[in-house]
Amino acid sequence: MRAFGSYGYVPLEPPSVELARAASTVDEHRVLRFLDRDGSLLALRPDLTTAIARVVAQRYREATGALRLSYFTTVFRQERSMRGSEREYDQAGVELIGASGVVADAEVLALLCEALTAVGLRDFTVEVGHIGAVRALFSELPAGAVETVLGHLRDADHVAAFRAAGEAGLSADRVARARTALAVRGRAIETVDLPEAIELRETIHLARELFAGEPLWGVPDLAVIPALPYYTGVVFEVISPHVGFPIAVGGRYDGLLALDRPATGFGIAIPHLHQALVAGGWTPAQDSSLISLEGGDPRTRLRIAAALRREGLAVALGRVAEAAGGIVVTVRVIDERTVEVDGRSMSPADLVATLLKGVEGNPRRNGADPHRNGANSPGSRRETGREG
Amino acid sequence: MSAPLRIALAQGTIFDDTCRALKAVGLPTDGLTGHRRLFVKGEGVAYVLARPSDVPTYVAHGAADVGIVGRDVLLESDEDVIELVDLGFGVCRFVVAAPVGSMDRSLDEYRHLGSLEVATKYPRVAQRHFERKGIQVELNRLSGAVELAPQVGLSDWIVDLVSTGRTLRENELAIVEEIATCSARLIANRASYARDRARIADLAERFEKWAAR
Repeated sequence: MRAFGSYGYVPLEPPSVELARAASTVDEHRVLRFLDRDGSLLALRPDLTTAIARVVAQRYREATGALRLSYFTTVFRQERSMRGSEREYDQAGVELIGASGVVADAEVLALLCEALTAVGLRDFTVEVGHIGAVRALFSELPAGAVETVLGHLRDADHVAAFRAAGEAGLSADRVARARTALAVRGRAIETVDLPEAIELRETIHLARELFAGEPLWGVPDLAVIPALPYYTGVVFEVISPHVGFPIAVGGRYDGLLALDRPATGFGIAIPHLHQALVAGGWTPAQDSSLISLEGGDPRTRLRIAAALRREGLAVALGRVAEAAGGIVVTVRVIDERTVEVDGRSMSPADLVATLLKGVEGNPRRNGADPHRNGANSPGSRRETGREG
Repeated sequence: MSAPLRIALAQGTIFDDTCRALKAVGLPTDGLTGHRRLFVKGEGVAYVLARPSDVPTYVAHGAADVGIVGRDVLLESDEDVIELVDLGFGVCRFVVAAPVGSMDRSLDEYRHLGSLEVATKYPRVAQRHFERKGIQVELNRLSGAVELAPQVGLSDWIVDLVSTGRTLRENELAIVEEIATCSARLIANRASYARDRARIADLAERFEKWAAR
């Protein structure tokens, strides 16, 4: 979210409950719906891009400049049970509405890469495709047939797509050309002679000006064709070696719903991101410790707790069963001027100095196993208490 | 050397043809038969031997990079995988079938009762088909020998997979309509297809050439 802010994106929380009759871009079987007391059919938002487009179309109808909006919130999808998928999960992303062209596409692409790098993701690639290029491959066909072919491609059914294109009258070499264009990846995109393919490479070059990141994070790949039907131009997916699903999906969606404006954006599926981070050996950063304050008479204990909190420390009264991966420092109150940590006595002021120093630079911190500091180990004071 | 490409294979009726296809495109097939191991490593590849209906799941979740499985299985499973090549073998059809000469009676019944009973092993395929046609049906999900259902009054029609149609004929059933023609497919995981494009696209091309022979 800090990366989003640094690019000028402001947070927006669209409504999570929508009228189900509102146009949905997600397959209706995958939308969670229910009735309210008035008998209106409501839906839990299945997709944030559509929800934000709706808010913008209503509230920012008159706005002319570029709107930069970000979110970190939940979406709801109906999933079949026993498939290892969640029905409610967090998504983080941005929408850039009112700006078109390669610079806008590059901005969103670079921001995605920067945000993922900021949370510690490594070894990922952003596969960049172009729906316009895919359309152009089938441009000799009548409009209806192009839609049929694209529908098959959104379902990832290449067999049916090329068959439908051939049956609709696309010549054998054109089918072969489309097949090759969807199979090449990376530098080989140079062999695809379409203006959109050049635009795509230009977008990646510009994005790398904004955020250098790891070498070769942006890879041209026309096979990126997201399942959602509203994308119109440059599209992209984030692939990590550790996860079988794309971690983030995004792209240009000019003219979605009542929103008669150019727009682009992305959404990061937080559960997939988390899976990739954990598989890549990441552990939660432990940059905060929690004091578990015990002993002493109640008035002294509360007074010391208040004093420590004023210094910016987190203090829980009594034992802590769940520290959310943080470090728990057990402190025993002896009297107003003395506390005991790990068998050593010190003044509350010294305790503050020790802990705040520990927060700033402790080399062992990031490599520590979070589970050893978690539940059932309130006595885990090996970090700050001992080293300070 | 990069990690071996994981290929999920369906251990069913198409298994022998699958092995032949693998051999034809130059992939190792040693150790695929003659024992009960389910995870077989060869040169540059590792085979995951799974039940046909589980192959799309292994591939969709990335437990295997690519897979070979019938389109009939894909239609019923509804998993998100890329269908790359029609391999041409294992041809079969999803059909709606009814007892011979019963058509008028069942249509009459549909008009009066407003619904038909349909027995099937493939509820998803059947449901999608009748929804698209706008015909209201009650589905009876069975585990096998669906041809029996109309003969003993369990259902009016069946939705089943046929290859030659012999079983239907022997049970005095006739095809009412065809839902889809299916054959074996080379499928790929979405992330693997991006990550391992060179190997998978090359494999797809070799299979494509072999299938078009």
